[in-house]
Amino acid sequence: MRIIDRFMGWSRSIFRRDEVEREMNDEMTTHLERAKERLMARGMSEADARVQARREFGNVGVLQEDARDARGLRLVPELLDDVRYSLRALAHAPAFTIAAALVLGLGIGASTAVFSAVDAVLLARLPYPHDEQLVRVFEQNSPTNRWTLSVVDYQAIERYGRSFSSVGALRGNTVGVSAGRDAERLPMGYVTAGFFDALDVTLRAGRRLSRADEDPGAPAVVVAGYEYAVRQFGSPTAALDQIVTIDGEAHRVVGVLGASDARLAGRAADLWPVMRRTIPTRRGPNGLFVIARIKPGISIAAARRELDAISVRIFPDWQAGFQDKIARLTPYSLRDVIIGNADRPLALFSAAVALVLLIAVSNVASLSVVRCLRRWREIALRSVLGASRGRLVRLIITESIVLATIGGAAGIAVGWVGLELLQKYAVGIARLDTAHLDARALIVALVVSVVAGCAIGIVPAMRLFAGDRGDGLRDGSRAIGDGKSTDRIRSAFVAAEFALALPVLAAGALLLVSVMHLQNVDPGFDPRGVSTMTIGLPSSAYRDNASIAGFWTGLAAEATRLPAVKAAAFGTAMPPNDFGNNNNNFDLVDSPVPPGGAQPSVSWAAVTADFFSTLNIPLLDGRLFTATDTGGARPVVVATKAWAKRYYANRSPIGRELISGGCTACPHTVIVGVVGDVTFDGLGMPREALFSPLTEGWPAQLYLFVKATAPQSIVARGVRDAVRSANPIAAMGPMATMDDAIYNSVAAPRNWATILVAFAAAALVMAAVGIFGLLSYAVALRRREIGVRMALGAPSGRVVASMVGGGMRFAIVGAIIGLGLTVMSSRWLRGSLYGVSAIDPPLLLAVTAGLLVVALIASWLPARRAARIDPVEAMRPE
Amino acid sequence: MARPKTTLLQGTLDLIVLQMLQAEPTNGYDLTIRIQAVSKDVLNVNAGSLYPALYRLEEQGLIRAEWASTAKGRRAKIYSLTAAGRRQLNTERETWARFSGALAAILRTS
Repeated sequence: MRIIDRFMGWSRSIFRRDEVEREMNDEMTTHLERAKERLMARGMSEADARVQARREFGNVGVLQEDARDARGLRLVPELLDDVRYSLRALAHAPAFTIAAALVLGLGIGASTAVFSAVDAVLLARLPYPHDEQLVRVFEQNSPTNRWTLSVVDYQAIERYGRSFSSVGALRGNTVGVSAGRDAERLPMGYVTAGFFDALDVTLRAGRRLSRADEDPGAPAVVVAGYEYAVRQFGSPTAALDQIVTIDGEAHRVVGVLGASDARLAGRAADLWPVMRRTIPTRRGPNGLFVIARIKPGISIAAARRELDAISVRIFPDWQAGFQDKIARLTPYSLRDVIIGNADRPLALFSAAVALVLLIAVSNVASLSVVRCLRRWREIALRSVLGASRGRLVRLIITESIVLATIGGAAGIAVGWVGLELLQKYAVGIARLDTAHLDARALIVALVVSVVAGCAIGIVPAMRLFAGDRGDGLRDGSRAIGDGKSTDRIRSAFVAAEFALALPVLAAGALLLVSVMHLQNVDPGFDPRGVSTMTIGLPSSAYRDNASIAGFWTGLAAEATRLPAVKAAAFGTAMPPNDFGNNNNNFDLVDSPVPPGGAQPSVSWAAVTADFFSTLNIPLLDGRLFTATDTGGARPVVVATKAWAKRYYANRSPIGRELISGGCTACPHTVIVGVVGDVTFDGLGMPREALFSPLTEGWPAQLYLFVKATAPQSIVARGVRDAVRSANPIAAMGPMATMDDAIYNSVAAPRNWATILVAFAAAALVMAAVGIFGLLSYAVALRRREIGVRMALGAPSGRVVASMVGGGMRFAIVGAIIGLGLTVMSSRWLRGSLYGVSAIDPPLLLAVTAGLLVVALIASWLPARRAARIDPVEAMRPE
Repeated sequence: MARPKTTLLQGTLDLIVLQMLQAEPTNGYDLTIRIQAVSKDVLNVNAGSLYPALYRLEEQGLIRAEWASTAKGRRAKIYSLTAAGRRQLNTERETWARFSGALAAILRTS
């Protein structure tokens, strides 16, 4: 109780300061009044009585101070005074304030942005109850080679798995959807009832899927995403029981997810239709995203042992089509899977940011010392006039904290921009989109500001204790900070800044060059005039293969008849980067892999024969597809030159046979032709690929490739009309040029390069400010010496040169160390570069030269001031 | 004015204030007058030390203050003892009794 009372009293004192002061005044006035009256009652005149009362009372001002002290009140007004004074002082030194705020803003902003990213990606838990029980199940035959599950695998886990309270499967697909209006292509997540159960998601409206919904004959139902429900029907509840046609089949909406569940288990979809149970006929195909919730008390290791046993148990039943004996169903923590390998770049960012912050603080501390040096006389005067050391130190620290707070405000702006930059460019980091600058990030910014402020203030404040203040009045420049050791530390800092800036700069430049090289790589096809778009057929409307084939062949004919269109073709994959969506394994009949071994896998696209002419890919050997290649007993493939070279060296592969997809029971596939190299695995990657004819089996969704002489918008309109007239509910994606496809395929390295360059720019600014601060300090310190030299006839150019040389010494030492660091760290980059070596002498030279030019400018600006020193003025005794 | 004023022993002012306030809650001015009266004008408590003492004791939670109107309609701050103040007074009283007893014994020996 007492503690609370005291706290209340104190906080009252702080927060209602004016009122407390007024009460104190009132009380003392009353006292004086009454004393005066008493004296007057004894016969004293009023004037005498007032004087006497005052005298007896003592010094009112001192008394009030003492009384305030007794209440712990004096700190606050003094603090406010200090803050006011600091603001005024900073306003008088705009250059210093701006430079310091900029540097601190960069440091604090970068930390805030990266903190938010780390917080959202690495630290946050999954938004599901007991997320530690959630696993994703893969099939794998080595720790680095894991893949999705098949219906067989999923059903086996569901049936035999005892470790799990629920198991769910998801198959992602983008299909045509309509709810009364035009069809649009939207990402779907076909899921089983167990998917929602395992995650234990709470719906906004309606119900989850049930096991009964999975029955083959049950009416089709769907759980809608919040965004889709609101966009299409106005509200989650309004969406319930509405009919949505998904891929041609009417689905009734039974539930709507919450607004925050745009992704489930890391997968995004607009609608979550039920995945109905099917009876598998072979082990494949894979493609199921399977998650499970482990029962409480059972470890992942135990679940893994059970899944091992299940893998062994089901293997013999499906051996005809799947011979990978060592492949095992394996659970991984869902959280780890979603975070993926984002921890490495983020750890790197965190380290970089901590460094940037450290450099920022040391830089501003260094600037701050220079500033104190210039104000030394003022400080000395205050000291002589009776300001206590503690008071002066507090003044300096307050000013630093005020400065850091300004920097912090700038930092929040930088952090906001920085986070946008990260979210835009650091693609591929899961959950980064959920990051935002929240209250905690702002608290981090605040704490960093205050700590940085104290750190900045402490260096000059310590100087106060080191020297005799009387010196300050005698000699305006010598008393502070000319200790050799601090000079050396400061110089070392500047050198370190250059040493650290160089590798970052070099890495950014290398990545940029690499991206430019990548974009200029011959993709193996001619993108000029070629546009592409995806077209999806409602599978319900085309039940048999003949009608699907009819649609596509009709559309191809229709498209070629469009004005200005020279050629049209279809394919299941798009070069130059299909992101591994169409990989398939194979086994060469004349040199099979040993039993139990993993078969090679390659990008495998099904295309029409016109694909090669539309994209201008030359036929090098054998033949292209003909109308008679319709599969059946004699499936055929065409290989790229690189594939042929890898598997058949200099022999011709024509007529050789292979087994596709591990299907030993299927007829062998014959290689009939070799075409020019083209890649589906990304520019700069091996250009190995196999092509099957689409005539062996048309899927419901394809890429259309159109080569035309007319502008893309006109072609797009013609194609859209043609598709609509063939089938009004066919879904179409946007049309893009193949040039765009090439550009987008290198988006990831380009984005990383952008981020690195941003970091490098920050590092460069830091280093420049560092050397600027160092030289400003030196000029201020050696004012008198320079004056003497100039009075003795040293030309001002020479003085400037010697100052600049002093600064450049550290920049050069730093650059040399930086070159060493660059060479040492080059192996980190090696795997990410194309067409440029991680140690590229001309590039390194250029980067180093650029760095030194910046150092030169940053040195010259303060050195110039040395030349302007008036010798008479500088040497005048003070 | 003829009698010599005795300066306060260090630390006794708090004890005096607590003791006086236990007898009757009062304001700062009346407290100075009363201390002078009770001590037969021997102790002259300066306002300059009384008010800081009052604020300190209030801060420590030993006394509390309330604004009230005096008979003449003036606003005055009335100080009174808290429970903690009462306990504190008792301990300090005992300490003082022990101390003065010991001191008296020492002075008797000569």
